[in-house]
Amino acid sequence: MVTFNYNPDDKVLTATFSGRLDTIAVMKLSEIIQIKLPMTDGKSEEKIVFDLRDVDYISSSFIRICVNVAKQAAPGNFSIAHCQPFIKKTFKISGLDDILHVS
Amino acid sequence: MIENLNDQANEILDRSLLASAEFHQYNQEQTDRIVEAVFKAGFKNRVKLAKMAHEETGMGIWEHKVIKNVLGTQLVYESIRNERTVGVISSDPKTGITEIAQPLGPILAVIPVTNPTSTTLFKILICLKSRNPIIISAHRGASKSCSETVRICYEAALEAGAPEDCIQMIKSGSREFTKIIMGHPKVALILATGGTGLVNAAYSSGNPAIGVGPGNVPVYIDESADIPFACKNIISSKTFDNGTICASEQSIVVVSSIEQKVREEFERQHCYFLNNEEIKKVEKIAIVEESMSMSPYIVGQPVSVIAAKAGITIPEGTRILIAKLDGIGRDYPLSVEVLAPILAFYSAPDHRTAVNLCVDLNYLGGIGHSACIYANDENRIYEYAELLNAGRVLVNTPTSQGAVGYFYNHLPPSLTLGCGTGGKNITTENITAKNLINIQRVSRRNPNELWFSFDQSKYYDESLSVEEIMNEYYKNH
Repeated sequence: MVTFNYNPDDKVLTATFSGRLDTIAVMKLSEIIQIKLPMTDGKSEEKIVFDLRDVDYISSSFIRICVNVAKQAAPGNFSIAHCQPFIKKTFKISGLDDILHVS
Repeated sequence: MIENLNDQANEILDRSLLASAEFHQYNQEQTDRIVEAVFKAGFKNRVKLAKMAHEETGMGIWEHKVIKNVLGTQLVYESIRNERTVGVISSDPKTGITEIAQPLGPILAVIPVTNPTSTTLFKILICLKSRNPIIISAHRGASKSCSETVRICYEAALEAGAPEDCIQMIKSGSREFTKIIMGHPKVALILATGGTGLVNAAYSSGNPAIGVGPGNVPVYIDESADIPFACKNIISSKTFDNGTICASEQSIVVVSSIEQKVREEFERQHCYFLNNEEIKKVEKIAIVEESMSMSPYIVGQPVSVIAAKAGITIPEGTRILIAKLDGIGRDYPLSVEVLAPILAFYSAPDHRTAVNLCVDLNYLGGIGHSACIYANDENRIYEYAELLNAGRVLVNTPTSQGAVGYFYNHLPPSLTLGCGTGGKNITTENITAKNLINIQRVSRRNPNELWFSFDQSKYYDESLSVEEIMNEYYKNH
């Protein structure tokens, strides 16, 4: 459901998600994310990327996780990449695509 | 000063309300006679009014404005002439529901500078067909041609027996006065077509409004598309009246595998791809940096004038300027709506990225308006349609002539295109006469057997499950 990959050269931590991220899946995910992701209080230089290329559904609780992670990362250091168009539209509708840097 | 403006507004609305009271008593035949007379008068003057609008605004191409006037008269008239808009409009003996059309009351119609006479003709026809008096508030850059349109229509309407003051025009063009009249309690509806500021003012007025603001129409040319056909249609649309229709194409999006082919085809059909330096020069004259909106000085201008203003040299006979951009938003000024023969062009590495780009463009100031796809793959077409927030998703169709209906499809001919809640509208329809009536539903007693045969005391029994109640409710049915 999620794999992590850290690139020390670029200081980029990529979390690659897959499948259906419904409320139940996200409950399990949130624990893993809390452990794996650096909680930087907005100061670290590390970049965090959520890669959603293989995700076909996201619940509002997943969007909340994205917002929380984005808040904890330094400004501009969080982004969401490789969304399927339907997922991209979901972020658009939420009105959070800009602050989450969705592409 | 304000007091004086309030008095003026009161006078206009008092007159309009009297017209409304009188109009309310007209039957369908009387109403249709007036509409026919106004259609004929407007249609007869289509060339004169087109030339006046062109001369006064300095925008567009008069021959194309004639076609817009034909849309606003003949085509709109033919689409509404047989519609019932008075009294009983439908009756269903099975349900016992009869629908009765009632007029709304005074309608304030705001007219844009880009399509002044055609929009005036169109709004007058649909208001009269629904027995609503209309008050025209024209953009000050088009007040002369709109005033002449109003005179022609009003004389024809009176001749056909219409109530006095059923068509009025606001003389004062000040923003203050427009604001006062928009918020006037006697206005029943505002039909606002224009820029964002004006449409927002209509919505903030406290009166019901159907407002059509900007569109930022993305066009996706899919790999399955007929490329020469797509380019030809896009060009015919974007050059129509020099791009003044708000449904005209703004951005072309392709995947990189067909980029070269599309580029060559546009070039073959006399479009010019700007280099980076030229893009900067065109941006400077086409977009107002502070507001990130198009400059009024280039709206509806031919390519030659835009090139001269920008100080660039382009091949003779160029039809459209195309700017290849790497992104959208503030850093890429030409990614916003430009009502002139200028197109943004994007190449994406794959289908997914290309469609995502279209979604971004759609949300960049054009939400709810229109979008377009050129494709011969049904799955791609419906995938695209579902993703875009657009009242009209046009398929293999020039968007200027496609979105306004009739020419290329069976959408109702209209010069006011509903943009749904994305554009702060209540409808995504092409606005026409039926949107300007209140429908009363006379509902005859027609008891629902299910309800009356059910022992309703069961609703108070909390020990019964949902299934038990439902089974009992539908028992023997």
